[in-house]
Amino acid sequence: MDLIIYRGCTIPVRLPGYEAATIAVLEKLGVNVTVMNDANCCGAQYIESLNRMAYAVMCGRLLAIAEREERDIVALCGACSGSLKTNQHFLDNDIQARDEVNSILADEGLKYTGKVRVRHLLQVLMEDIGIEAIERAIVAPYKGTKLASHYGCHVTRPYEIVQVDDPENPTILDRIVEAAGGTAVDYPGKTRCCGGPMLAMDEEVAGVIGLDKIEKIGEAGADGIVTACVFCDIQLTQVQFGDKAGNPRKIPVLPIPQFLGLALGIEDSALGFELNKIDPETVVSGCSGGLK
Amino acid sequence: MSKTEKHKRLTPSSDFAEEVASIHGGEDIAKCIQCGICTASCVVARATEKYRPRKIIQKIILGDRVEVLTSEMSWFCMTCRMCEDRCQEGVSPAEIFHAVRVLAASEGHIPNVFRKSADTVLEDGWMLKDAYSDFIQDERDDLGLDPEVTFNEKFAHRIKEKYFSKKEGPR
Repeated sequence: MDLIIYRGCTIPVRLPGYEAATIAVLEKLGVNVTVMNDANCCGAQYIESLNRMAYAVMCGRLLAIAEREERDIVALCGACSGSLKTNQHFLDNDIQARDEVNSILADEGLKYTGKVRVRHLLQVLMEDIGIEAIERAIVAPYKGTKLASHYGCHVTRPYEIVQVDDPENPTILDRIVEAAGGTAVDYPGKTRCCGGPMLAMDEEVAGVIGLDKIEKIGEAGADGIVTACVFCDIQLTQVQFGDKAGNPRKIPVLPIPQFLGLALGIEDSALGFELNKIDPETVVSGCSGGLK
Repeated sequence: MSKTEKHKRLTPSSDFAEEVASIHGGEDIAKCIQCGICTASCVVARATEKYRPRKIIQKIILGDRVEVLTSEMSWFCMTCRMCEDRCQEGVSPAEIFHAVRVLAASEGHIPNVFRKSADTVLEDGWMLKDAYSDFIQDERDDLGLDPEVTFNEKFAHRIKEKYFSKKEGPR
């Protein structure tokens, strides 16, 4: 399987460990990956809110680059995967819009014809690689470490477009946690937003939303949180450092490939653990491999 | 009178509701029965009293065009789509507010933070050029990643020129 990684704006700068862990895990599981360079922002939230066609052209260019490279896209961020899928759906159903997009892309010799598939990382892990193959590849299983999954709204909704798991009761992350030997922990409000998209308009409200989630996860006794979106990961981390957080134990937040990578026997230096803002000790100590 | 016509006649509406319904994403607004499951499902409404999705839809239906387009209310939707998932009538407040934002933007009503972020993307091609430093390059290098992160500015400028240089109607 050959895939091209679309990293978006935030991952390469704010969470490069997610990028490194994704590459290491996918390669370990037999996927050939390249990174999309010379890309552009997908337009999520900001351009999206201002002009539909500008948003469509921005995602159209990314789809066309993947087509030129003859690789399906794997997106690591909920906003990016959601944007790419939403605009693909738009361009596949509105020929006039597609013609307009292609007239702009023609400047660079690019064209979107609809051949490329867009996958969120969770789909690649679960549907393309498969849970059995992941289980077979585990060499250093966790010993029942308790992980709370946070899905990321744009990863699973709207189902009609993104086609990931079940929007009301997703289990895809929990199944990966259990395949790696962890214990999936349930908590109220599991499918609720992290509050990340609210940071632009009202930081205080974003904080209330994020801390509510952290509180529920703490009460459920989780040793850590796994995420599948860079914004969720950053929001659920930074909200624990805010003035309103009080001083409870900080719950480490890990992108799912970082958690999984350790159980696959990948060196922790390649998974970016040293860049984690919250000490991941409660999670990594539960892995029979542990940190080197 | 056909069933559809009867249904239409009994649904409160306004010129503004029809205008929103004519924009991509706003089509289903007339289906709203004002039950309030959107507000009950909304994490933003749980966190602050200043955002009530059902009320915004009511204002649109009643034709409060100026208030809806000039206030920041539609920009508080995080597009998490929990309300859309729960709505029993097939209405997506997230999509309706998206249509409202596009309409508001076309008339120049854009919250500063959205305007600034959009300007950054249209200038640099991405959001984080300013935060991308030597320090980040070192971190990337240590992880075995290519320290160089490149985004295409020229394409962003083309988008800016085509879609943001002159006043256009909602798209």
